[in-house]
Amino acid sequence: MNRLSRSFSARLSVTVLVLTSILFVGAITTVSYFSHKIIAEEATKNASNVLSATALDIDRTLEKIESSVANVQWVVYEHRDDSTYLYHITQEVVEQNTEIVGNAIAFIPQYFRDRHFFSPYSYKDSAGHVSSKQLGNDAYNYFEMEWYTVAYQSRKPHWSSPYFDEGGGQRLMTTYSIPLMDEQGEVYAILTADIDLYWLNSKINALRPYVNSQALLLTGDGGYVSGTQMELQRIQNIFKASKELDNKRLGVLGEKMTSGDLGTMSIRNDRNLAFAVYGPLSNGWSAAIISPYKDVFVHIGRMNLIIILVSVLGLLLMFVLCFHIVRKVTQPITEFSVAALNMAKGNFHTHVPEVTTQDEMRQLHDSFEYMQKSLNLYISELRETTSTKERYESELTIARNIQMHMVPTDFPVSENVSLYALLQPARQVGGDLYDFVIKGDDVYFAIGDVSGKGVPAALFMAVTRSAFRFLGGLQLTLSELMKRINNSLCDGNTMNMFVTLFAGHINLKTGQMWYCNAGHNPLVLIHADGRPEYMRVASNLAMGVFSGFEYQEDEITLEKGSRLLLYTDGVTEAENIEKAQYGEERLLVFAQSVAAGDTSEQVVDHLMASVKEFTGDAEQNDDITIMTISIPK
Amino acid sequence: MNVTINQKENNYHVILEGRIDTTNADQFQHEIEPLMTAKDANITIDCAAMEYTSSQGLRTFLMLQKSVIAHNGKLELINMQPQVKEIFDITGFSNIITIK
Repeated sequence: MNRLSRSFSARLSVTVLVLTSILFVGAITTVSYFSHKIIAEEATKNASNVLSATALDIDRTLEKIESSVANVQWVVYEHRDDSTYLYHITQEVVEQNTEIVGNAIAFIPQYFRDRHFFSPYSYKDSAGHVSSKQLGNDAYNYFEMEWYTVAYQSRKPHWSSPYFDEGGGQRLMTTYSIPLMDEQGEVYAILTADIDLYWLNSKINALRPYVNSQALLLTGDGGYVSGTQMELQRIQNIFKASKELDNKRLGVLGEKMTSGDLGTMSIRNDRNLAFAVYGPLSNGWSAAIISPYKDVFVHIGRMNLIIILVSVLGLLLMFVLCFHIVRKVTQPITEFSVAALNMAKGNFHTHVPEVTTQDEMRQLHDSFEYMQKSLNLYISELRETTSTKERYESELTIARNIQMHMVPTDFPVSENVSLYALLQPARQVGGDLYDFVIKGDDVYFAIGDVSGKGVPAALFMAVTRSAFRFLGGLQLTLSELMKRINNSLCDGNTMNMFVTLFAGHINLKTGQMWYCNAGHNPLVLIHADGRPEYMRVASNLAMGVFSGFEYQEDEITLEKGSRLLLYTDGVTEAENIEKAQYGEERLLVFAQSVAAGDTSEQVVDHLMASVKEFTGDAEQNDDITIMTISIPK
Repeated sequence: MNVTINQKENNYHVILEGRIDTTNADQFQHEIEPLMTAKDANITIDCAAMEYTSSQGLRTFLMLQKSVIAHNGKLELINMQPQVKEIFDITGFSNIITIK
């Protein structure tokens, strides 16, 4: 399942399956509901038709009996005083009507003088033989019989409740009685006809719209007349049966039937759900047909089963088809995913999956191909850039080496002079410089700073240093030396680069120093007693600015034990994290701390350490150059 | 660093603010460039709010001075703070550029 849920095709197929199943269930429910309704209506119509045909049939028979009896009353009236003929009448009635098995004319008390009971009665036995007798006596007081009292009191014809004739062979009987009246409207006798209801059974039993249908015929008070409903055959009354069987719906059916309604309802019959159709008869009785639901809706069950079976098969087929189609359609995605992974691993020439369709997959393919091309292009450009950068870096490293070897690193230490210098560029190459040339007792030295930084400054620095190295060896006066260097730098200086340069010439024998400052920082002179001071000297113009500029030189005699501390602005303008500068004052304080015994190298190193301590973690933003010249005692 | 140039005919009044250092020296040169092509220009640069200039900034002033001379114009730096003036003095630039 885990594998299934991760597959797009399976997930889509399951979604489609679920949605379609919901639709199918909805459709089946709707079809089922309406077919159920149609079949119920059909069943009602069917049962009602059967019922009303039977009711009509029964009514016709009963009406025939009623009219036969009605016709007899006039004959009785004519011969009401002829007791012998009255017997003949009853005999005739029984003989001529097959349904009538007994006929009595029960006169009111004392109608015939000194006769309390008089009721001629003729009856058929089971073999069809007709006998006659007088019915009333003290043992059989017909004045209290239902058939007599109801007709007498209501002065209307009356159908009795069905009963079993205990004398004549367990036959189900009913008695129809009508009051006979004289001219004054007084009832003088009750004419009765006993009817064998055997024929009803066959009619009722024929009420079978469905194989397992049961029929029921009830009197107006819920008494059982006829039918195939077994429990009622036993209990004989529907209300009694409802109580005994604890079946409330049966009672409801009884109420509807006895109130003469026509309709349908569902009841529980023999523990099964059943469908009852009921309707009244003209004599106040009511008939019902009770059919099991499973019989009525037998087709619907089968139909539903077929629909569900077909649906399930269809859904399964659809799932399989959907799964395969979607998997086929999404196959390129899987391949693209593999290709993308390959590219992520650095295989930029991985095979792009072929797509033959012209749909979104095609777009994906094109985008993928474009991405691959772009990546390849980008990577090759990156390689080129990287190699170019590496080349530049390696060239710069070489340039730095060259530049570092341009400045002298072999420092003279003698009893007359000790000189030391240090150059530390901010970038790989820088624009600071120092140099010195020693000719016998004459030392020529210079310290300078080219405007700007990096490669342009480094190139200008190289030119400056070469000019000094060459011209310094010519033993010119300092002003002449400076003028020539300046002219040489101005030549072709279209970029307006310039360099600040401090140069000096010391004669070690005399201690005389000639110097010239071309726009450079003032140097610190540390006297023999350790007292430092800035040498404020005439500031000439920086070099490379104006060709032909006349530089002025100055002269001083250095005492034994004094030192010169020269530097570029990388020292005084060194910044710490808070952007504070090292400054000239701090430099002077440092100069005060220089011990008399320190070598030139120590002084330079200490100053560099002092600057580093001040700047801390801040990046070095300018080239730093320091030079110290000490005149030993 | 901020450069504001107000022009009235041949008169240019430039207000220069902040520090000119390695990080913005190229930008400074770029902003000043229009002045280097102006003919007979009378340029006044107000340096009251200028805090510092590196040697690259000086180079730009030098280029401006040279172009002004070439174009027969006039350049004046005014209201310069002492610590900035010192830079011009040390390098000798105050000898070739008029600072008032």
